[in-house]
Order: sequence, then C-alpha cells, then structure tokens
Amino acid sequence: MRALDAVDFSALPGQIHALVGENGAGKTTLMRVLYGALDVTSGTVLLDGNEVSMPNSAAAIARGIGMVSQHYSIIPALTTLDNLMLGAEPSFALDRKAATERAEALAKQMGFSFRWTDKAEALSPASAQKLEILKLLWREARIMILDEPTAMLSPLDADALYGSLKRLANEGATIIVVTHRLPEVFEFCDQVTVLRGGKLITTQPVPELTPATLAELIVGRPVEIPSLPESHPGKELLSVREIQVKGDRGDDALKSVSFDLHAGEVVGIAGVDGNGQKELFEALMGLRDVYSGEVFLGGIPITDAAPVKRLEGGFRLIPEDRHHEGVIEEWSLTDNVGLGLQNQPPIADRGRLDRGALERTASAVAERFRTKHGGLDQPMASLSGGNQQRFVAARAISGEPKVVLAFQPARGLDLAGIADVYAALRDVSRSGGGVLVVSYDLEELLTHCDRVIVLCHGHLAEPDADAARDRGAIGRLMVGVGE
Amino acid sequence: MNDFLTFAMNVVALGLPLVLAALGGLVSERSGIMNIALEGKLLGAACATSLVAASTGSPILGLGAGLLTATILSLGLVWLTQSLRIDHVVAGMAINLISLGGTNFAAKALIDQNQLSGAPTLAKEMYWGLGVLAAVVIIVGFARTRPGLHLFAVGEDPHKSRQMGLSPIRVRVGALLTTGILCGLGGALILTNAGGFTDGMTAGRGFIALAAVILAGWRPGAAVAAALAFGAIEALRIQLQGAPVFGVEIPTEAWASLPYIATLIALTGFLGKTSPPAGLGRI
Repeated sequence: MRALDAVDFSALPGQIHALVGENGAGKTTLMRVLYGALDVTSGTVLLDGNEVSMPNSAAAIARGIGMVSQHYSIIPALTTLDNLMLGAEPSFALDRKAATERAEALAKQMGFSFRWTDKAEALSPASAQKLEILKLLWREARIMILDEPTAMLSPLDADALYGSLKRLANEGATIIVVTHRLPEVFEFCDQVTVLRGGKLITTQPVPELTPATLAELIVGRPVEIPSLPESHPGKELLSVREIQVKGDRGDDALKSVSFDLHAGEVVGIAGVDGNGQKELFEALMGLRDVYSGEVFLGGIPITDAAPVKRLEGGFRLIPEDRHHEGVIEEWSLTDNVGLGLQNQPPIADRGRLDRGALERTASAVAERFRTKHGGLDQPMASLSGGNQQRFVAARAISGEPKVVLAFQPARGLDLAGIADVYAALRDVSRSGGGVLVVSYDLEELLTHCDRVIVLCHGHLAEPDADAARDRGAIGRLMVGVGE
Repeated sequence: MNDFLTFAMNVVALGLPLVLAALGGLVSERSGIMNIALEGKLLGAACATSLVAASTGSPILGLGAGLLTATILSLGLVWLTQSLRIDHVVAGMAINLISLGGTNFAAKALIDQNQLSGAPTLAKEMYWGLGVLAAVVIIVGFARTRPGLHLFAVGEDPHKSRQMGLSPIRVRVGALLTTGILCGLGGALILTNAGGFTDGMTAGRGFIALAAVILAGWRPGAAVAAALAFGAIEALRIQLQGAPVFGVEIPTEAWASLPYIATLIALTGFLGKTSPPAGLGRI
C-alpha cells in the first residue's frame, strides 16, 4: 500500500509549520521519512538544497534533525541529565560536571529549570516535554519535528510550549508540528500542510485560512461543527462521596473526591495526565480499593462491589491502555467481544458461551463504528490502533450500559471517528445512562460534554456556573491555580 | 591468625569464580537479556579448557578454548532471544541443557579420563588479577562511561533507546560478548581450582552468581560484594565440614542453601527495595 503518494513538502527556517490530516493521511509516514526511520521508494529529501540520504535516526540526528514523538523517549530510571545526553554524550568518559554546566546554560536560554540529578520518573508531563526540547537543543538540532506536542499538556502549559517554540523559530530553527488541535494551528503556526489519504492537499500560510475551510480541507467535505444538545439531567445515577484512593506508590491519588453523575448526562473530567484520573476510574470499576468514602449507584451502595457485579449492574469501561487492558491481542475479534460480558446474556447461556450470540454481537460491534478488519475470526493484533480503539469503544456501549467510563475514548481517532464515538456516548445518555469521560484535551471535552469537572493533584474541582465553559478558568483549575 | 589467612584465601579462591560469573550476569541482565544460562557457560568453559589443555598440552590454548566456548554459548543466547524471539527463560534453559549434555558427552567420548586430571593450567594468581581488573572496569564503566549509560538505557527501554539513536542489538551483542568472556574466565578458574574436569563440576555456581546479581539489586559494586559473601559461605562450609557451631550440628546442605535463602529474603524487599531493569526479559 502506498502511504505517501508523490507528496511535496518543504519547511523554512524561522517558521512553525503545522502538519495536519486524519488518521492514515500519511503524517506519521512523512515524519518518519524526515527523521530517517523510513526510506522513500521514490523521490528525494533535500536539506539546505542538497540531496541527503538518512538510513536511520542516528543519521538524521547527525544532520541536525530532531524529533519529539508523542510518547516521550525519556527513560524514567535515568537521571534528568543522563536522559538529556543519552545518545549524544560528548565523550567516552562521561564528564557530568561539564554536562551539567552545558545543560544549565541551555535551560537558562529557554527559561526552564531542572534538577539534573533527580530521576526522570518524577517529571510532570509538561517538564518532560521541556526536557525533550532541551534534548533537541543538546543535539544542536536545527530542524525540530514534534508529534502532538500538546496532547498531554494543560492549556497553560501548551501556551508556554508554543512560546518556547516561537522563540526557537525566531532564532532560526525550523519547527514542524503534527497536531490535530486546529485552534493551535491558528494561534501559533505560520504555515500549514494538509495531507489526506497519502496525498498532498495544500500548503498555505495560516492567515489565508479559516477554521471551517481548514477542517474541510482535512476531511474532504464540509464539516458540521456539532452543536451540543441541551441537557436534561435526570436523577442521580452515580454518586461519589468523599472517596480516598491510594496510588500505585502508596500516595493519596484521590483525596476526598465527591461528585454526582446524573442520568442523561455526559460529564467530562479534565486534568493533566497523572492527577488521579486512572485511580478514579479503577476505583469506580472496583479494580482499586476505596479506603474511605462511599460510592452509590442509583442510591444503592456499591463501594466494595466486585468488578463482575458492576459489569452486571451496567458499568462499562473504555480503558486507558487498550492494548493491555482492553483486548487480548492474540484472540479473535469475536472472542474479544465477550470479554467482561461472558457471564451475561445473550453471550452466557446457562453456563456455556453461546458462540452464535458472540458472533452476532461481534459483527454488530464491528459495524457500529465501521471498524476496518479482515474478518471477525482474525486476531485483534491485526487491527490498527485506531480500529482497535473503535472496537473497544463500540463494545463498551453495546447492550444497554448504565454507566460508561470512557478513558480518552477519542485517542488515536480522526475527526470522523471522534464524532462517531461521542455520538454513541450521547446515545447512552439519551437512553437514560450516564457517561464519564476522561480526556487530556480540554477542547474535546468542552465540545462534547454537558459539564466539565477538573481533577488536579487528587482534588476534584468544578468551575463556577458562569465559568462552566470558560477555557481559561478551567485551564487554571487544571494546574491548581485560581481557587 | 593462620586460620584466618587460610579462610581469607579460601574466600578469594571460592568467591572469585562467583564474582566473574556475577559480573557477566550483571552485564547481560542490565542490557535486558535475562541470563539463567550462566551455569551452562561456566560448565562449557571448564570442560573446553580442560579438554584442549589436556590434548594440546598448552594451558593458554586451553583458556582460549574456554573463553571461546562460553562466548559462543553467550552469543547463542542473543540469537535465541533477539533473532528468534524465544522467551529468555526457555532459551537460557536450552543453553544450560546443551552445555550439560555436551560436556558430559565430550568428556567421555573425546578423551580418556586419566588425561583429564592432568590438564596443565595457568596460575591462579593470574585469574585473581583479571578478576579484580574486571570488577574495577565494570564498576567504573557502569557509572562513568558512555557504554555504561547505553547499557543501562537499553536494558530499561530498548525502544526509546533506539529513538535516541542507540542500537539496542549492538549494545546487547557487546554485553553478551562481555558475559561470555567473564564466564569463560570463571569456568577456567573453577577448573584450575579443582585440577581436573568432572561431570557437572560447576555445581550450581552459575545460579548462585545470578542470585548475587539479584540480591545486589543489579548494582555492580553490590554484586561483587554479594558474590564474595557467597564465596565466604562456601569457605565456611568447607572449613567447618559439618562440625558443630555453638554446639549445634549444622548439616553442610544447610550452608549450601544460604545464598538462596539470602536472595529470597532480598526479593521480599526486607533489605530495601530494588527493582530489575524495566526491560528485562521483554522480548
């Protein structure tokens, strides 16, 4: 299959160049070509006007090209300093004193500060992103490619990041940003390139475009901006009262969290990664102990109920890590659809699995979001990441779930996929269920949820009624200021 | 005093093969390759050293053959785990079994037993010098050199290391070459200590060395200390010969089990928390 078809792309020094497109448009492929991780079958790459060949990442680094991938390449067990110089150590014998001086100088230049001898596991997502940028500077990269750099950042941190990138561009760097957040393109970028289906659609200066035209170029047809339906919350469905939950390291991941989810409601939980979202969902699914406080479903206490009871009671989870927690990759799609539902009709039939029901459910689930697959008997591993996500999301809303806990349900999906998933979650709420959504993308939550609450350092905060849809006010709650 | 000197000499003599094997195991595990095959490498090296030295009359060729055998077995582990993607424990098991059967066969079939006991060997002091050198190089190399940092990074996360321009497979091949050489020295030293090859003569020392690595929390200085401590336990066992300690008769088997008990206690976390390299054994 041709991932990129005769695409021309050029980026200039001094500019922030956005690269946008849907899943499978070829963004990742293009970046990998630029970063030497993938070779072209035809065509050339020119650097400063000269043709270059980059058989691997090391060659790209040597030519001054650096990349920050969406999943940071920081190794938690190494110190911040060692992470900074890994792969680009100045000499055989490590002179950490000299390295610290250089690191300190680079950090100062960017207005960052780090404790170099601390292990990197303590870095927040925002600090990790800053360290990734310093790594590029350490390697004297002139061309910097960033893949979804703000995916894990709060709005404030995202603004600060673009401030840093702007500064680097002003000093002559070439910055290429792959993003799906269109507001960022308009706020911070100079040029935008749109790819669709492996073909170049356009490269234009950003001021020549409007959000609507850009969205249309990306999708290939006019896009309706979904308007949020008026919400009519019903009775309290899920009530959480002052729960406290420990994190993996024995710390207090949730410190006295209380909220209500009403029937017919889609509630978004905003916050930066690692502020208790995972622990909250695990506690609600019965996967993690609630050592103080109570949880009620429709007024009935379920604080200590086993996960299987919750599934029977209509709880469904779209887990954070779909590869490890959502599916068994070696199993077929059909077998995967029964996971968690194996004790309930129609799949369970007096103690045995009803293969027919399993197959019917699987085909309905695959149909729901147009999952692309090569047959329901094929292993889950044969699906692309986005299609696995579609499948997992569709499974969670099949049947008639009461409470759906969706952890980043739109992760890895394109505009159409995101719209599909949220439409389905909306269906759940219309039929009297409630939906809790965790996402690190505040814009996404504001677009699709009736109400947004914020988790920060294990505390839950709800913006005031008049600031309920105020990006700035919620952004401040996400980083714990403004209260 | 004389007793103490004898004991100290015994500790060094018995501990040094463990130190060499433990350093080898440490380098391997730090690179992310789980190594339960230390035992097989020691045994293979001891056998090859003995056979070649006995048949050529040259102790240097003997040592060379020992180093070569352990290195081949070590690279075999890289091939099984990295190219064929076989589970690290299964691959290690295979290496151990090949070595156990192969040495048994070779010792019986290729050469008559009388010749084996008379194999010429190099001076023990040379091994002691090499052992100390290896320990210093690895302790310093881990903390202060580029290969040390690369080894650590690849063992923690090969994928991220590759993104940073490292070549995980190259690092691992280098690591396992080192493991092979260290185990080769260890096996040759075991043979030298014993004077001649007998079936299964390494008697679990490879596993005790691995236990030292785990007990030490995959840290080089601590691994050397743990290996020497296990050597001391063995020296005590020999010195006491089952004689009563404070009036209690302790069977020699009880002493022999001490390293494993110590490692078990270490694994439960009573001696402070340690964690293996995050990428250890992940295919």
